[in-house]
Amino acid sequence: MGSISRGFMNAFRNNIRTLSVVLILSVSIAMSLVMYESLKTVQAKIADVKSSIGNYVTVSPAGIRGFEGGGNLLTQDNVAKISQISGVSKTVSTLTDHLQSTTTNLVTPVEAGNFGRRQQQNSSSSSSNTSSSPDNSAGGQSSQTHSFSMPIMVSATSDLSSTQSLNMSQLNITSGEKFANDSSENIALLGTDIASKNNLAVGGTFTAYSQTIKVVGIFDGGNTFSNALIVMPLASLQTLSGQTGQINSVLVQTTSIDTMPQVSAAIKTELGSTADVTSSQDTSNEAITPLQNIKSISTYALFGSLIAGAIILFLTMVMIVRERRREIGVLKAIGASNFLVVSQFAVESLVLTLMSAIVGIIIGTALTNPILKVMATNSTSSASTNSMVGNPGQTHTAMMRAGAGIINGAGSAVRNLQATVGWQIILYGLLAAVVIAIFGSVIPSFIISKVRPAEVLRSE
Amino acid sequence: MLKVMNLSKKFQSGEHLVIAVNNVNFVVPDGVFAAIVGKSGSGKTSLLSLLGALDKPSNGEIFVGGENVSRMSDLHQIKYRRDKIGFVFQGYNLVPNLSAIKNVMLPLEFAGVGKLERQNRAQELLKKVGIDEIKSRRLPARLSGGEQQRVAIARALANKPDLVLADEPTGNLDSATGKIIIKLLKDLAKKEKTTIIAVTHDTAIADDADLRFTMKDGKLT
Repeated sequence: MGSISRGFMNAFRNNIRTLSVVLILSVSIAMSLVMYESLKTVQAKIADVKSSIGNYVTVSPAGIRGFEGGGNLLTQDNVAKISQISGVSKTVSTLTDHLQSTTTNLVTPVEAGNFGRRQQQNSSSSSSNTSSSPDNSAGGQSSQTHSFSMPIMVSATSDLSSTQSLNMSQLNITSGEKFANDSSENIALLGTDIASKNNLAVGGTFTAYSQTIKVVGIFDGGNTFSNALIVMPLASLQTLSGQTGQINSVLVQTTSIDTMPQVSAAIKTELGSTADVTSSQDTSNEAITPLQNIKSISTYALFGSLIAGAIILFLTMVMIVRERRREIGVLKAIGASNFLVVSQFAVESLVLTLMSAIVGIIIGTALTNPILKVMATNSTSSASTNSMVGNPGQTHTAMMRAGAGIINGAGSAVRNLQATVGWQIILYGLLAAVVIAIFGSVIPSFIISKVRPAEVLRSE
Repeated sequence: MLKVMNLSKKFQSGEHLVIAVNNVNFVVPDGVFAAIVGKSGSGKTSLLSLLGALDKPSNGEIFVGGENVSRMSDLHQIKYRRDKIGFVFQGYNLVPNLSAIKNVMLPLEFAGVGKLERQNRAQELLKKVGIDEIKSRRLPARLSGGEQQRVAIARALANKPDLVLADEPTGNLDSATGKIIIKLLKDLAKKEKTTIIAVTHDTAIADDADLRFTMKDGKLT
């Protein structure tokens, strides 16, 4: 029987104590595992959210509110200044316009719906107060109600590969081809819905701004809104809409997500009050805050659980060593070295922690996702409350609409955080046990090494 | 043979210098049962600690089998205690969760003796001290005081030591059992050619010893 088997046997010397220590330690190890798994899951989610939001700064004319107009458009000079700012890797300019039934022969695929009917009523009451309105001559209020249709949105971008600049999740060409970014021809890409509604295919034409526009491609934008869009070359739309050299949004890509705050500040300094600057960092922060909360809680709780486990084991081992002080003295007196005695107690503490690890792994596996869910729910509700209180108007801007979507998506993702508990949890559990055993046994081992065998005789 | 020359042990207790062992000299030949008697606080236990290399002397030298114990390093002292010394304590001090035979096997294990040899030697020793095979499988708590002390004696003899140090070996036993234990120690001293030093304040035991020393105020007379 060696010191290892003696240490193993000693772990079961007092069954009630062993059971108590194993239960308490297993809770500590289970908490460590839950927190470690939570931390890992949240870190992966943060990386995911960051990569989905990207490192973009959006520059809009000051006062613009989404698609509702307002403010003076930005110019190419503004874009040139932005491009010179350190940390800017790319700029994409966009211009958006609306085609009414008077300026195009296209019919929108979008039904007016409740929102459209409200717009119509607002428009009707406004036009009835304006007798000189040309629309009013087309008929009475009842005929306007009947003929109202949603405007068709035309977007132009200096870089077709940047779907973010078009507020689209994708731009998949289903037929035809994309146009060159620097084209100034009267050509367009149509969303699948608007093309279908107007029986247009590649090579077909339609009228807009009193000009004939050729369809060079049909695209799938990923949703109904995008598939009702027309996309044209920037130079073409600027000329046709009479807004030469003007743009209503610049999407600025920074060299990294970390340089976004500096770039945002530099753009604000450069353009002053003429532009509103919105960083995706703000959006990112909104989305990541609840995740960061969980990460902080998990980190502190992870170390807290490990330290608590080490303290529990330390106190247990100190108690055991004090109880067996005489026995330690006897072992030393009959020829056991410090190493042999310390290793016997180390094995005992390791057996206690390993048994705790087994129970802790079972508890941890069962509780990881429920606890993560509780943390996610609490963090999301507190973060969204803060968000609503702090930024009531943000959701009105185009970028913020997208941002809000991401936040909501992230919020939903946070609520649905799911840790993948695999076989690695066994490894982490054993690792936690070893860490606890090492830290919990250092001081007791030191006490053992200081026990003098002469004490056995003196205490007789 | 045990040879002690000018042995002293002094230590500071608060502001007072305590001389526990004061310039002690004596010789005990091999196979002799020697008793050291004296009142409590006379320095008997301190002397035993020094002989067993459990403590270091302030002055003087101890020779056991020609080796100078007092000049040994800590590591050598562990080896010395393991190979040359056997301890018998007043309170037996058996490991409570190990059976009698496993207690006797402990010093052999520390000395690196193989398992089978350990078992045979332990069984043989237990038989010599009067513990049968059934009792040898019992935990100490299931043995009487006398039986536990017999197991402790067997454990002390496990590594065939040159010197057995017994600290009040009959202190927890009734007088009849005590006499049996002392007789056992004396017989073993002769059979195993082992020197036995027993510290006691029981003069009856001392009277049976081959050699008798009396300690008073740290001095041996």
